[in-house]
Amino acid sequence: MHAVAQLIHRNKGDTLLKRFSQLAVPYIVWSVIMLLLPMVLVVFYAFTDTGNAILTFQFTLRHFVRFFTDPDFLLVLWRSLKIAFKTTVICVILGYPVAYFIANSSDRMRNMLVLAITLPTWINMLVRTYAWIGLLSKGGLFSTLLGYIGFKDVEILYTETAVLLGMVYNFLPFMILQINTSLSKMDHSLLEAAADLGANGVHSFLKVTLPLSLPGVISGISLVFLPAVSSFFIPKLLGGGQYFLIGNVIENQFITVGEWNFGSAISVIMAVIMMLSMYLVRTLELRNSGGVREA
Amino acid sequence: MEDKTLIRFRDIVMSFEDQLVLKKINLDIQENEFVTLLGPSGCGKTTLLRILGGFLEPTEGQVIFGGEDIAKLPPYKRELNTVFQKYALFPHMTVYDNIAFGLKIKKMSKDVIEQKVMKMMKLIGLEGYESKNVTLLSGGQQQRVAIARALVNEPKVLLLDEPLGALDLKLRKEMQYELKRIQQEVGITFIYVTHDQEEALTMSDKIVVMRAGEIQQIGTPQQIYNEPVNRYVADFVGESNIIPGRMVDDYLVHFDDHDFKCVDFGFPRNAPVDVVLRPEDIDIVPVDEGQLNGTVDSVLFKGQQYEVIVETVPGTSVTVRMRVVKNNEVTSADGKEKISANDFFVDIEDVPSLDDKEVIARADAQAWDPSTDEYLSINNIQYEVKAEEGEYPVVFSTANGTMIQKTIYVVNQPVVKNPKANEAVMAFNFFKTVDELQEAQALDTDLKTWASAQAWKLSNEDESVDIYVDYDFDLENIREGASYPVTFATTGREFKLRTTDYVEEGAEVGLRFGPQDIHVMHKMS
Amino acid sequence: MKKNKRIFGKIVMILSLVFFYLPIVCVVIFSFNGSKSLTVMKGFSLQWYERLFRDSQMMESVYTTVLVAVIATVVSTFTGTLAAVGLSKSRRVVKDLVLQINDFPIMNPEIVTAIGLMLFFITMRIERGLMTMILAHIAFCIPYVILSVMPKIRSLDPNLADAAMDLGATPWQALTKVIVPQIMPGVFSGALIAFTMSFDDFIISYFVTGRGVKNLSIMVYTMSKRVNPTINAISSLIIGVITLILIIINLIPFIRERMTARKKAAETGTAEE
Repeated sequence: MHAVAQLIHRNKGDTLLKRFSQLAVPYIVWSVIMLLLPMVLVVFYAFTDTGNAILTFQFTLRHFVRFFTDPDFLLVLWRSLKIAFKTTVICVILGYPVAYFIANSSDRMRNMLVLAITLPTWINMLVRTYAWIGLLSKGGLFSTLLGYIGFKDVEILYTETAVLLGMVYNFLPFMILQINTSLSKMDHSLLEAAADLGANGVHSFLKVTLPLSLPGVISGISLVFLPAVSSFFIPKLLGGGQYFLIGNVIENQFITVGEWNFGSAISVIMAVIMMLSMYLVRTLELRNSGGVREA
Repeated sequence: MEDKTLIRFRDIVMSFEDQLVLKKINLDIQENEFVTLLGPSGCGKTTLLRILGGFLEPTEGQVIFGGEDIAKLPPYKRELNTVFQKYALFPHMTVYDNIAFGLKIKKMSKDVIEQKVMKMMKLIGLEGYESKNVTLLSGGQQQRVAIARALVNEPKVLLLDEPLGALDLKLRKEMQYELKRIQQEVGITFIYVTHDQEEALTMSDKIVVMRAGEIQQIGTPQQIYNEPVNRYVADFVGESNIIPGRMVDDYLVHFDDHDFKCVDFGFPRNAPVDVVLRPEDIDIVPVDEGQLNGTVDSVLFKGQQYEVIVETVPGTSVTVRMRVVKNNEVTSADGKEKISANDFFVDIEDVPSLDDKEVIARADAQAWDPSTDEYLSINNIQYEVKAEEGEYPVVFSTANGTMIQKTIYVVNQPVVKNPKANEAVMAFNFFKTVDELQEAQALDTDLKTWASAQAWKLSNEDESVDIYVDYDFDLENIREGASYPVTFATTGREFKLRTTDYVEEGAEVGLRFGPQDIHVMHKMS
Repeated sequence: MKKNKRIFGKIVMILSLVFFYLPIVCVVIFSFNGSKSLTVMKGFSLQWYERLFRDSQMMESVYTTVLVAVIATVVSTFTGTLAAVGLSKSRRVVKDLVLQINDFPIMNPEIVTAIGLMLFFITMRIERGLMTMILAHIAFCIPYVILSVMPKIRSLDPNLADAAMDLGATPWQALTKVIVPQIMPGVFSGALIAFTMSFDDFIISYFVTGRGVKNLSIMVYTMSKRVNPTINAISSLIIGVITLILIIINLIPFIRERMTARKKAAETGTAEE
């Protein structure tokens, strides 16, 4: 402990800092053990096999080879990326107008609406997902409503549509809040300037508002896409037993099968794909904003 | 006499991660003194104060307070209090609670606390503000609360770290008097840190001027102002004209080509010195009555006074032509070597002293391997120059026979002499390519080299004078074949002074000052 | 033209609010259903609540959830606040590094954090159960506390602690009498986030639990495979608790503002007299 304390305080002379910086010592030790070590373990398990004796670990790429040579796993991965992508697109399309409306409301109204959007996100995601089971099942509110407009006996529950709906429902608030933040921060004089320079409504939206709100959209995308790829109880609850996503595979490996090494490898693959996709989105954004500046 | 020393800093060294912030500071502070640590930011003054306050532990040295070394004592065990930059009032407490904080920590009884706090409220003139939220007070009021919060603990010393920095000018002036009044009323030592020389002169009993972790001078405001020890102190405290000079003898100093009587003595004979003349000590008189004469360069109205700049010695200048020539490279037949050189001018008088080295340097001759960019030696130079005006060919070649021919122009270059300024300036025309110009690392210095520009004292040819370069070509747009004027000039001498009488810009005036107005200082090491 | 746009916006807004709240309202309504159906209301009844309170497994999970949430909140608020104060006075390199690690559970997909902790407990041969759940909850709660306390510390005058010690306070007194009162709003919202995060958590609890220890979320997950309105009852309770907390939180600043306004009015009133 003392060694850590020696290491962290800013300089030898400052008596006060010496005292206060020591307050962080317990947490530094804790975070290394409870936050850093687990992540190291995931990577470690992904690249090793447990031998017969407990302490003989062998380096291997077997788990990765297994994943990438099995069409079933690849299909699941593809399906997860596809549905996460669809969720993200829908959230942008639905979220933008809502965020735009909120951002253009009076201060009081805006606070109320932000609160109204935030409130549900504080309620257990599992409970909110469960709520849809009743609504989507046969004879539930949705099929009844659909029945009135001519689609009789449609069952949405346990289909891909249901999973998609569940994801949009759970993650849409993040998108709205992110876009709203960047729209509200925007300087309104910019729009006035655009109008002054002869831009009409559509024009000033496309040339000024949209590019400036792009950072909000980007961070919204990461807040929707990442959890959507890795979610496992939404497909389980709303997709039934048949609809498997990558999160379900990981859950299976850890809870049911007990193949931790393989499960870890899948997690690593998933994490790498997520990082790559976010990197891609970020670079797209950078290029985009660069283009705007040039124009 | 009784020793009234309260604090002694002994050989204080402070270093932050290899950076030496304080270099062996020794300083004594007396009881009931108003001491100011003065210096620009980064000079170590705040570090010294924080060491005294107990917030920093010095790397080396002792802080002796009341006969005891307190260098390692934590702040809460020291009998001194601090007024912080931006006050550091506790925003969640009222004015009363802020002031009472220290007393409550000491667990004093409620009525004693109340009595003391009320006394302080009276001292700082904020009676009736007890239950106010400190964040709602004005800057000046917050300042007073911060002072009261410190003084209520009855410290032997109050430390103030640039306390007026956040206030506007008018309030700052008011607070200066207020602080001085409070110090005199409570009768304790104030140690005050500031970079504002005017503040220091107004309030202090003693000023400590610091620079880069060292004390430059300790003295009363009068001493610091009238007898600065060196150019740095003179420059930092008040406005001044600082002129390089030479101490001819005790009470006699030489500068700007005249000897002046002064009151300073004890310097070695002919020691180089810096001379200070404060602007308010110089009088404007008719030309024939002045000790120095000059032309009024500018007049600025400053309220009660005019600030006048008089040029006593005009600068000396010479203008030469810079000819921009085509690419001067020659490539060998096999393409493996390149050589380049320029034509150049040389003065008749310098012809005898020309040698191979000098010719290469003046022609800026170079040879190199274009594939590796490595320099090759030029080992054959052929030229024949006579000490007569004319053009003489010169040939440079490498070991492999790659050669280039150029011309040496021998001229009788006139020297621009300025007897009034006791200066002479000389420079030559020169030839350069666009590339050479654009690749120049430090153009001003390079121009001086290329033109062999120099300036010296007429009275002593070995004493060189600084020159500056002036040109108006644009490096991006220079054309081959064109020639551009380049001027080399000395600065001359200007005096800043203050007067209540208006003088016309451009008027010829005399300057007068007495021996007691001249202050001679040692040159800074 | 402008008006049309506003109306369009209003409709979109109302529709999305319906979308967000309808399922939640339905859950609550059907928790009072007279029959077992999740689709048709047959009279009002409290039978599912009765069943819930008689179900010892359910009640145990309520107990587990609250116990874990309270312990995780108290421990993570305390540790997180001290850590934030300490880090703010630490060397930059250390601070940046720790904050980077601190971001892991916030940035990573929850399932990755969950399996990481699970592997950790397995590797360390710690038997999974209530203890591991509490440890895991503390682990993912502290980062949120630090995240909400840190900006408050950053906005403090850096000399505040110095000033307190200058006036005779020991470092501990400076911390408790000056620093902590200043950052209290951040500490409070950190505690609140920690509590709701822990109370609501499913994924991490699911992976690190063992020996049949279940919190409410795990109960809902394992029971939801069959139609069972007791889930509605327990969900309604969860919704109720969280909504109540949120309403109180959002009302506090409002009430405080009111009170100070009234106090001010009273003060100026007496001043005028």
